[in-house]
Amino acid sequence: MSIIFLVTDAYGGHGGIALFNRQFCEAIGVPITVIPRVVRGEIRDVPPNVTFVAEAAKSPLAYLRALTAARRSKPELVICGHLNLLPVAFNRPLLVVHGYEAWKRRRAALGKCRGVISVSALTRDRLVGWSGYTGPTYVLPNAVRLEQYGIRPKRADLVERYKLEGKRVLLTVGRLDSGERSKGFDEVLDVLRELPEVVVYMIAGGGNDFTRLQKKAVDLGVANRVVFTGLFDERDKPDLYNLADAYVMPSRGEGFGFVFLEAMACGVPVIGSKADGGREALRDGELGLLVDPANPAELRAAIVETLARGERRVPPGLDYFSFGKFAERSRAILSAAGIAFTS
Amino acid sequence: MCGITAFFAYRSTAAAPRREELEAITARMIPRGPDAGGTWISPDGRVGLGSRRLAIIDLSPEGAQPMWDSAGELAIVFNGEIYNYAELRASLERGGARFHSHTDTEVLLELYRRDGARMLGLVRGMFAFAIWDTRTRRMFVARDPYGIKPLYLADDGGVIRIASEVKALLAGGAVSAAIDPAGAAGFFLNGSVPEPFTIRKDIRAVDAGTSFFLEEERGRVDVRRYYSIAEVFARATEDHLVDPAVFVRERIDESVRHHLVSDVPVGLFLSAGIDSSALAQIAARQTKLHTFTLSFHAFSEAPLAERFAKELGTTHTTRLVSPKELLDDLPRILERMDQPTIDGVNTWFISKAVHEAGVKVALSGVGGDELFGGYPSFKNVPRIVHFPRLAHLAARARRHPKAGQIPTHAKTYGRAYFLQRSLFFPDELPHILGEDMAREGIEQLALLDRVDAVLDPDPLTAFGRVATLEASLYMRNQLLRDADWASMAHSVEVRTPLVDAWLLRQLAPVLLRGDGKSVLGSTLPPYLRDRPKTGFFVPMKEWLDLRPDGTTTRMRSWARRVWESFA
Repeated sequence: MSIIFLVTDAYGGHGGIALFNRQFCEAIGVPITVIPRVVRGEIRDVPPNVTFVAEAAKSPLAYLRALTAARRSKPELVICGHLNLLPVAFNRPLLVVHGYEAWKRRRAALGKCRGVISVSALTRDRLVGWSGYTGPTYVLPNAVRLEQYGIRPKRADLVERYKLEGKRVLLTVGRLDSGERSKGFDEVLDVLRELPEVVVYMIAGGGNDFTRLQKKAVDLGVANRVVFTGLFDERDKPDLYNLADAYVMPSRGEGFGFVFLEAMACGVPVIGSKADGGREALRDGELGLLVDPANPAELRAAIVETLARGERRVPPGLDYFSFGKFAERSRAILSAAGIAFTS
Repeated sequence: MCGITAFFAYRSTAAAPRREELEAITARMIPRGPDAGGTWISPDGRVGLGSRRLAIIDLSPEGAQPMWDSAGELAIVFNGEIYNYAELRASLERGGARFHSHTDTEVLLELYRRDGARMLGLVRGMFAFAIWDTRTRRMFVARDPYGIKPLYLADDGGVIRIASEVKALLAGGAVSAAIDPAGAAGFFLNGSVPEPFTIRKDIRAVDAGTSFFLEEERGRVDVRRYYSIAEVFARATEDHLVDPAVFVRERIDESVRHHLVSDVPVGLFLSAGIDSSALAQIAARQTKLHTFTLSFHAFSEAPLAERFAKELGTTHTTRLVSPKELLDDLPRILERMDQPTIDGVNTWFISKAVHEAGVKVALSGVGGDELFGGYPSFKNVPRIVHFPRLAHLAARARRHPKAGQIPTHAKTYGRAYFLQRSLFFPDELPHILGEDMAREGIEQLALLDRVDAVLDPDPLTAFGRVATLEASLYMRNQLLRDADWASMAHSVEVRTPLVDAWLLRQLAPVLLRGDGKSVLGSTLPPYLRDRPKTGFFVPMKEWLDLRPDGTTTRMRSWARRVWESFA
């Protein structure tokens, strides 16, 4: 049995999609050949079942060569890890959709897919909504490795660097993208003024929307209560979450919202969005509060309520997104797609 | 869903109203709330609350009104429905609040205790309520963002009285029934009395989307607008990540889900038009639905509706209305009609049918045209504003009675809109109302300025402007008000998933581009989708044998008939 997995990035990649791809490869545990479009960082921890064709990312020609070789190998199953790669996918692929790349009408040969895996029911419904796709669909939400996070004391050097002593901290982690503007930074800034002075807002991430957001904070008169961390070291991530009293992301563009799982795994109470996949990461409100990003009053009330409770704990319901469950779901999907597991 | 009333003798020198008055006002509203009623007057007699209740959520006597909170500090009378009350209640309970009932009414009380006037940003629903706060001796009064639920106020300088009906305030006997010239002029110009005017001089409508406090000696204070349709459009930022069609359906789906909250079976007015059919389709997937359609022989949409209902698997009732029944009901229609209007008869009969079937709650597709640009005004108004001469010539060529008005009325969106929607013209009024009342009415009404004032802040695009005008004027003064009195007369609660402040806020970015209507109809079968728009009206002219005067519409002579019953 052989499986080809066409991905944008995986090992040596950042962000939610790369993470999902790595998790998936590890979860299925059977031999799989992964062909990436880009490799940005250092390639580490490739599990033994994975053949990672890193050279495919070197040039368009190298990519074509890798595809041709994959085609010649007559694989049993091709998994297409991104809608953008569907044109080059072959052999009735199993398509994976993540978020807003699949939310809007576009040219896509969905008819050639044997099935669609989506990280959320929302992304699936939106895809089906504009495309009328009628083939099989599977929902496979991201998983979080609880052991990599946990509740920790606030790291003194970070508290000092960001001047957080004695403050109540709201946190959003995400890219500051001027084209997208969907993480909900604006929405949180808008209500910050109406919150007690002691509340500060930490925006963790880099991006080209920084200047605008900073100006907005100044215009709203809350510049002294907003902390921009810029790009941060991935290894500091659990400590960064642990600085927060509430993780707040009234977003509109999340396919699922893996960051919510990370925050919860650090015992930080979360406030998510009713309008995108965050709703599913919060299990429809079971794991955290949901707000309408279009309604400032609701956001403000949720923040006040969360800070008032001031509780730090990893919600038991987070187990739903454990790696073990993810692995079970992944294997069940491949079985349904006709791949037999011996183990 | 109920009728409410309250009074506050705020000036210490003013005599407090008597209990008989409160009882009489409350009694007038029995059809609005046949299940229970109650009144309360403070020990010092300065404050009174009254309610008639139609039980929808929590059918037990625990839901009785006026309702007190557990601490005995706050009392409320409330007319309406809070669709997100379960969510709000959970939030309040996490904060330590305790409840003694399962009603949305009590949620409002606790929410007020926690957030004060700020609570209104959190409440999704239709409502008018008054909360008496014994701690501060202030009364908090609010009305929903669109004005789905009515609320009227009379302030004589010493006592403020509020109620769900104009006629209820009159029934108390202490408020004068003198005709308001502005209200009368407004009715003949628009077909309905424009808020804040009413047909009675001493009674005013409480502004939709506002709240205020009543305070000792000072009366009405801290008036606050917490929701403005114009502002929602003005602040809408484009959301470009999602397919508009998919997004719109998703949000409407959610709105319908909210509007289905109920402890009793839910019906739906099905007209075979796109809005009500799409709602039926969405609602039928979520609940067991009973659909209702009216049939008037020649004008019947019933066969199409029946076919569609069968496909959806709903319980369906086609209610035949005969000319005789209309004539028989006419006295009662005019008696329950709270203020003069040229419409509402259709809602009267469909609500009657719903009531006959033992159903208390019905969804209506009202608001779809305002949301998605279904009216001709969405094309015509921008045209008239930007090309007045062309519009004038075109209208003259068609011998349109309003043609001559275009040059003087068409300079702004508000004026052009008025031209589109008006029934009579200002220079026709003296013939109907007499010289004095017409002049005074038009002066006070300052109608054209009022129409333009709705557009502040500017709702960004032509679509946004017309949508705001339609929702703030025609829909509020005519459609929603008629839906209220005509359904309440049969103890039926009409719910409007397409008239929802939260839905508008979510959809505004997509709507501004003007591509919504096709979305709603896109999943309907062709026999519903591809037919011309017909409206949902009763063939009044034919049945009442009123001679049309041949100028604008058949509604003009019906308007005079209605007027006679009020004057």
